[in-house]
Amino acid sequence: MNTRAGNIGSFPFPQTRSSNLRLVLISGFVVLVLMLYVGGKVQIMRLGYQIEELEKQKRDLERMNRSLQIEASSLSAPGRIEDIAVKRLGMVRPSKENVVVVKRKKADAAGSELQSPAK
Amino acid sequence: MGAGFAAVGLRLVHLQIIEHGELSRRAERQQERLVKLEPKRGTIVDRRGRELAVSVDVDSVYGVPTEVGNPRPVARELARILHENPAELERRLASDRRFVWLSRKVDPVRAERVRDLDRSAIGLQTESRRFYPKKTLAGTVLGFTNVDNKGIEGVELWYDSMLRGVDGLVLAEKDARGRTVFPGGHGFQFRQPQAGKDITLTLDEVIQHIAEKELDKGLAESKARGGVCIVMNPQTGEVLALSVRSTLRGRGAFNPNEPKQYRPEEWRNRAVTDAFEPGSIFKMVTASAALEEKVVHPQERIDCSAGSIQVADRVIKDVHRNGVLTFADVIAESSNVGTIKVAQRLGKARFAKYLSAFGFGRKTGVDLPGEIAGLVKDHRLWSGVSLGSISIGQEIGVTPIQMAAAYSAIANGGILMKPYLVSEIRDPKDKEGRELVTVGPVAVGRAVSEETSRMVRQILQKAVETGTGQKAKPAGYSAAGKTGTAQKIDQRTGHYSKEDYVSSFVGFVPAGTPKLVIVVMVDSPVGVTWGGSVAAPVFKAVAEQSLTYLQVRPDDLGGRMLLVSQ
Repeated sequence: MNTRAGNIGSFPFPQTRSSNLRLVLISGFVVLVLMLYVGGKVQIMRLGYQIEELEKQKRDLERMNRSLQIEASSLSAPGRIEDIAVKRLGMVRPSKENVVVVKRKKADAAGSELQSPAK
Repeated sequence: MGAGFAAVGLRLVHLQIIEHGELSRRAERQQERLVKLEPKRGTIVDRRGRELAVSVDVDSVYGVPTEVGNPRPVARELARILHENPAELERRLASDRRFVWLSRKVDPVRAERVRDLDRSAIGLQTESRRFYPKKTLAGTVLGFTNVDNKGIEGVELWYDSMLRGVDGLVLAEKDARGRTVFPGGHGFQFRQPQAGKDITLTLDEVIQHIAEKELDKGLAESKARGGVCIVMNPQTGEVLALSVRSTLRGRGAFNPNEPKQYRPEEWRNRAVTDAFEPGSIFKMVTASAALEEKVVHPQERIDCSAGSIQVADRVIKDVHRNGVLTFADVIAESSNVGTIKVAQRLGKARFAKYLSAFGFGRKTGVDLPGEIAGLVKDHRLWSGVSLGSISIGQEIGVTPIQMAAAYSAIANGGILMKPYLVSEIRDPKDKEGRELVTVGPVAVGRAVSEETSRMVRQILQKAVETGTGQKAKPAGYSAAGKTGTAQKIDQRTGHYSKEDYVSSFVGFVPAGTPKLVIVVMVDSPVGVTWGGSVAAPVFKAVAEQSLTYLQVRPDDLGGRMLLVSQ
């Protein structure tokens, strides 16, 4: 380059700028990789907690489901049902007189629909 | 300054290089914890799939003594919530161990209060606890487990290896706050727990309830010390109900949810672990042997008019003087004299052969712990009185389950069946629900011929219709069976007691096509002690209700039948 002081040679600036740019780019890339790495790790950690939380929820729901099933099982105990039938609903066992055995007639013995009482 | 840097540098080298291995192992130990995963114990259901024993997830409270600081206030606070002894909790928290249990399998409300404390040194671990939703129903059959889910009694003990499953193991990582984080990484160890197998019983929940309820009623009326009621399918040997009651301590039936509240004699299954002198119910065996050996005919007339008989040095009497009876009436009216006369025709060796044929003197093989073989002496060691005594059910010890099996043989046409309680074992993981093991009926052998069993059935039916067992007759159904009133041995004198009896009734319904064999045994009733008055009404009630439940058509309604066309 020619100046009033004579030729001072080529200006070194463009060269310095390109090498700095490369440095910045590389640093940026490294930072990016590190951030991605750390971010990934953090994400894994966060997902781990999330999974644990969901599994806990699943366990709690399963536990509740199971306890409801057991409650249903306890409530359907024959002793309890009989107690309610007899004491609360006033139900009684049929006596011998109230039982009638219905027997299917033989096919050849056609006749009236019902014959009662018959041996 | 240079020396300082050098010292720091050296320390760094020491920590990072020389002690690296040991320090990283120590870090791992602090960050990881080995968690034992308890397998789910198998479920026990009745023959229709109704749950009788299940496992539920509950919390157990643990402590980390190394992190607890001052154990006294922590122990006091926890003792208030957990209802535990504060001194004991303090002792555990003051130990030098890394992990101590403070209270196992606690109530959900208490667990929540411990969780709310939010102390780093106190934690909760999920474990599985056994729960019996039907409470006392079939308690002595099911048995129970201890805090580590190990079977201690009953089916829980007999099938423990099947029900228990295999422990799992996981190495979990902890973060700085001690929370479990994503398990994994290098050397990560994991073993899934294997759930125990599910078991289906032959018991029917409803028949079990009927047997327990009616036995309780019978015991209360007779103020008895205890009792047993067994309902069995005579064709297969399946036990449909097995109820054992003890009223000794004036408490209700054994509840397996609270085993610590009871003494061992209250949870012991006396239907298999205890022998008793059967008394007259044993005359069925004598009758079967005599008819099979053709030493007597059911209609042969036997003179019982003396009312007593001399056997060696002993005089054995009848309760009532009977006159001349047919052999069928000898059994129906329960004449000791007539029975002994016929037994003497058999002789020791031939009679002993039938004791064995009906399974007495050896275990039935029922799948319950603690079964005994009973007490049957070798016939070569019998005294002069033994043949006569044994023929009327004295001088011999039998278990109620043996009696049920013997009467089943008569009910089913002469085959001795092995009684059993578990019909299926399934793997809960198998989505198709295939059985791992299916248990079917097992015939032990033929006790008597079909013809003999038919004759004995008719004789036993007569005992219910016109003999000593009339109170056993269920409404609408025919029945066959035999009463028994056996004197117990007085422990103080070594002789037969005049006050202590075992009253019993064993029979089957309906008499023509037996569906159920029912054994009722009442121990030490007070006041009226006859088997026909104490045990027979229990038999009647259990038979009526069970047959109605099973929708067995009434066969004895006195002509009350309707005929309908298609």
